[in-house]
Amino acid sequence: MTTITADHHGEYAHEHHDADHKPAFFQRWFMSTNHKDIGTLYLIFAIIAGIIGGGISGLMRAELAQPGIQYLQTWAQFSDGPNATLDQAYHLWNVLITAHGLIMVFFMVMPAMIGGFGNWFVPIMIGAPDMAFPRMNNISFWLLIPAFVLLLGSTFVPGGTGNGAGTGWTVYAPLSTSGSAGPAVDMAILSLHIAGASSILGAINFITTILNMRAPGMTLHKMPLFVWSVLVTAFLLLLALPVLAAAITMLLTDRNFGTTFYDAAGGGDPELYQHLFWFFGHPEVYIMILPGFGIISQIVSTFSRKPVFGYLGMAYAMVAIGVVGFVVWAHHMFTTGMSVNVKMYFTAATMVIAVPTGIKIFSWIATIWGGSISFKTPMVWALGFIFLFTVGGVTGVVLANGGVDDVLHDTYYVVAHFHYVLSLGAVFGLFAGFYYWFPKMSGRMYNEFLGHLHFWVFFVGVNMLFFPMHFLGLSGMPRRYPDYPEAFAYWNKVASHGYEIMAAGMLIFFVNLIWSLAAGRKAEGNPWGEGATTLEWTLTSPPPFHQFETLPVVD
Amino acid sequence: MKKVKSLVLAGLLAFAPALALNGPALAQDNAAVAAPAAGNESAAADSGANAAAPAAEAAPAAKVAAPTRMKPTEGIGMPRPGEITLQEQFSPTGRTGRWLHDVMLLPIITIISVFVLVLMLYVMVRFRRSANPVPSKTSHNTLIEVLWTVVPVVILLVIAVPSIGLLADQYKPAPKDAVTVKVTGYQWYWGYEYPDNGIPEFVSNLLPKDKAEANGEPYLLAPDNRLVLPVGRPIKLIITGADVIHAFAIPSLWVKMDAVPGRLNEKTFTIEKPGVYYGQCSELCGARHGFMPIAIEALPPAQFDQWILSQGGKPKGAADAAAQASAPAAAPAAKI
Amino acid sequence: MIVSLPPSPFDRDRRNRRTMIGMAGIGLAMLGLGFASVPLYRIFCEQTGFGGTTRRAAADVQVREAVGHKMSIRFDSNVAPGMPWQFHPERPTATVTIGARSMAIFVAKNMSDKPVTGTASFNVTPTQAGAHFTKIQCFCFTQQTLQPGEQVRMPVIYYVDPQILEDSDNRDTQQITLSYTFYPVEQDKKPS
Repeated sequence: MTTITADHHGEYAHEHHDADHKPAFFQRWFMSTNHKDIGTLYLIFAIIAGIIGGGISGLMRAELAQPGIQYLQTWAQFSDGPNATLDQAYHLWNVLITAHGLIMVFFMVMPAMIGGFGNWFVPIMIGAPDMAFPRMNNISFWLLIPAFVLLLGSTFVPGGTGNGAGTGWTVYAPLSTSGSAGPAVDMAILSLHIAGASSILGAINFITTILNMRAPGMTLHKMPLFVWSVLVTAFLLLLALPVLAAAITMLLTDRNFGTTFYDAAGGGDPELYQHLFWFFGHPEVYIMILPGFGIISQIVSTFSRKPVFGYLGMAYAMVAIGVVGFVVWAHHMFTTGMSVNVKMYFTAATMVIAVPTGIKIFSWIATIWGGSISFKTPMVWALGFIFLFTVGGVTGVVLANGGVDDVLHDTYYVVAHFHYVLSLGAVFGLFAGFYYWFPKMSGRMYNEFLGHLHFWVFFVGVNMLFFPMHFLGLSGMPRRYPDYPEAFAYWNKVASHGYEIMAAGMLIFFVNLIWSLAAGRKAEGNPWGEGATTLEWTLTSPPPFHQFETLPVVD
Repeated sequence: MKKVKSLVLAGLLAFAPALALNGPALAQDNAAVAAPAAGNESAAADSGANAAAPAAEAAPAAKVAAPTRMKPTEGIGMPRPGEITLQEQFSPTGRTGRWLHDVMLLPIITIISVFVLVLMLYVMVRFRRSANPVPSKTSHNTLIEVLWTVVPVVILLVIAVPSIGLLADQYKPAPKDAVTVKVTGYQWYWGYEYPDNGIPEFVSNLLPKDKAEANGEPYLLAPDNRLVLPVGRPIKLIITGADVIHAFAIPSLWVKMDAVPGRLNEKTFTIEKPGVYYGQCSELCGARHGFMPIAIEALPPAQFDQWILSQGGKPKGAADAAAQASAPAAAPAAKI
Repeated sequence: MIVSLPPSPFDRDRRNRRTMIGMAGIGLAMLGLGFASVPLYRIFCEQTGFGGTTRRAAADVQVREAVGHKMSIRFDSNVAPGMPWQFHPERPTATVTIGARSMAIFVAKNMSDKPVTGTASFNVTPTQAGAHFTKIQCFCFTQQTLQPGEQVRMPVIYYVDPQILEDSDNRDTQQITLSYTFYPVEQDKKPS
């Protein structure tokens, strides 16, 4: 895709002897303007948030392992005091599902994908010395901290029946307005505001960087697909997040200042909130998965030693997914009582998305076709991604049918679907990217055996965790239930055991991470061989503190 | 648990008249209904014939016993243990919907997934480094790119035709003689009202575990009072929410509709077989979201009319006729 | 191959600032659109009958009656929690001629010992009938105040637009349900 003129090859690291001059600790990490350091901060933040969000799902799977309420009341004593009632325990359940959703979406996947890998590699891949607005980049990151603190803090203040915001990540009115007294929901909303502001600033920064900071010769159609994916994602963020900001601002005023935007009592309409939320919410799911698409494209090409098949088709498929993603939102609202014509439109429009998605899947396979594959850990994760994302995608086609959604809406089938595309799609993309770029970021090789072991244990675990949810959903188990009829016990038990296996896989990951950071073999500039053609592999591992002080020229 | 129990008990007490836990014995003590108490079969016909008489209200009070509370059939109208597919369907749209899923969608998505898996396994074996040390440089093939764009489009069109048909079928409005029930979602129970039969709202709460088990009903699916509906007649539910959004859902009848405060939704369906069909609230509505179950008891028409009478209501034909006769004031509005 | 010269840092900064301002403008525009969606949504609903929103016509509106074409109308009433009113239609259903002006009466009674002001939200089902259901006069157009124990009969004058007969989406519509929900008007809640 991109080749570097020979006379420049490999010499950027040595241009200036002071390229590696780093500021002092506090200056470097707390007032950072370096895209790589900020990327590292984002990744550390995402890992911490992922541990918390994943821990919450562990609590949920423990409670759901068998019918009845086993642990919730005990846990409720931590958030609601020693005399927590059963209702407060049930409320705690809603707090857990809300927190899990918001943390994983806003504080794990997005910071890791865009903030972490995007910050680290977009400037390098386009041959830029840094982001366009390094200080704004720093603000973007540090806004996440108060946002996260607000969200976690909301768990300990009243939110209706018990402490914490128990509205679901969708924060539907009127449950989130008249249905949740107390400051918890206000804090959660404010947390979304701040996280949203952070992402919008980040999006503007990425767009400006990608449009203006490319090295000479790096035309848009020569950019690596990961950069394309971040560009499309940044535009989605820029167009979708302000709408969420408006929607939740009106929630806040409805809650606190007596407005009635979503309250039928004053001529408002609760359905309006859902329209606004999903106008943001549907692009949001592409925001989470598109950078993953980009990462997978890089990895598949690298380890097949082949250029990406159908590069332009791949780039514009992402653009198409982004565009169509804005006109399908009401397929999340098939049971709200919309008229049949509206449903038909949203059914048809939603199905259209399967076409560019199919193009991507087949193009990845075509990229591998004829290649010379080495099954390094990142490639194994990428292959896992392609298959599992396909499975998640096809259940999306089922759910797209408004008529079928009548029985599957708000059941575990939906939960299975979006965990296949996100937990098994986006997260596999994250791990693939992490192993792929770990040598570049840290300067040390990870342990190949532990990486493979992590993959296989995690793969078995998440499939055992999420595949039975299809069965639960088909047979009618609704989402967001802390307890269920006896008939659902079997697959819930299987799913909870799946969680245990997945958690074991995560332990392997952390062992690998710590071992590799401490004792991993030193990584050379390009550990992946001739298949790795993007600019980051022309630098040392880790790259110099300031790279490309003389811009590279791309052929 | 205490709070739930006490609330359920309160519900039980308050609506004891509407409650028919153990059949006739418990059923009615205030059913001072004027309609003639006849055998199941003739009840409807009789009331229909007598309805035009304005004196119906003054006829001697006769107690009509509610039909015995129906025992659910294991695995019918409820999930089966370890089930991996949709519940058995008991409405025409449900059968169409299930056909769409089982015959069209599931095979198609399975074939696509298996196809992708086989392709991947093939390339992984065929093009591993030891088998293919020199990679090709192919990065374009217009024919195949067109093919993998067009084929999915065709598949989607094949799906879309019956899918759109199912939608149109599902949302065909009810005929005007449909049995109409007003459903209201509350935090955290359901209210049912039969406006055409003069049966005021009664509520339906979660049946506590011991009671459900004593009754032979699945805990968390079984409410105390069921929504009683006739078999074979078109049914129109008009659904609203009192406080927050709930969703009225019966998986075995292919029914799911949000109950939104401040607005009304309607949902039409027909039940094909007598039975008990369970469902659960399907929109997050607060703490006890998981504890406001739904049960429909579908009765043969004659028994349904008997139930209506037992609740102090008038079967549909009677109510209509009475309304026509006793409302001359409204006649101008309905003139021409 | 054409290699453009690296832009000078000064040029680049200026270009970056321009891009940033443009992008921030897009972001602000979307934010504005988010807030503007409130009136836009209302207008959209009123124009298209989306969600079962009914139409409104002036008192002197002339409509052609579709003689021989009847429509059943059902009346549904709700009171919000905390609203101390009884509120119900005088009759649950009526049969009207399409195009003809008809009147329905709703009865409201204040059960509390304080004057209570209420305002009603409304829609019709099936939702596709909303575009053809026109109100000429309705208690829902304004706020209603009832004195303690006061009972009033409140009229709705409406007609079903004959266009419904030509609308393929309403081919199967035999009964339109008109639903109201009465809410208390609190001093601090103003219509948005």
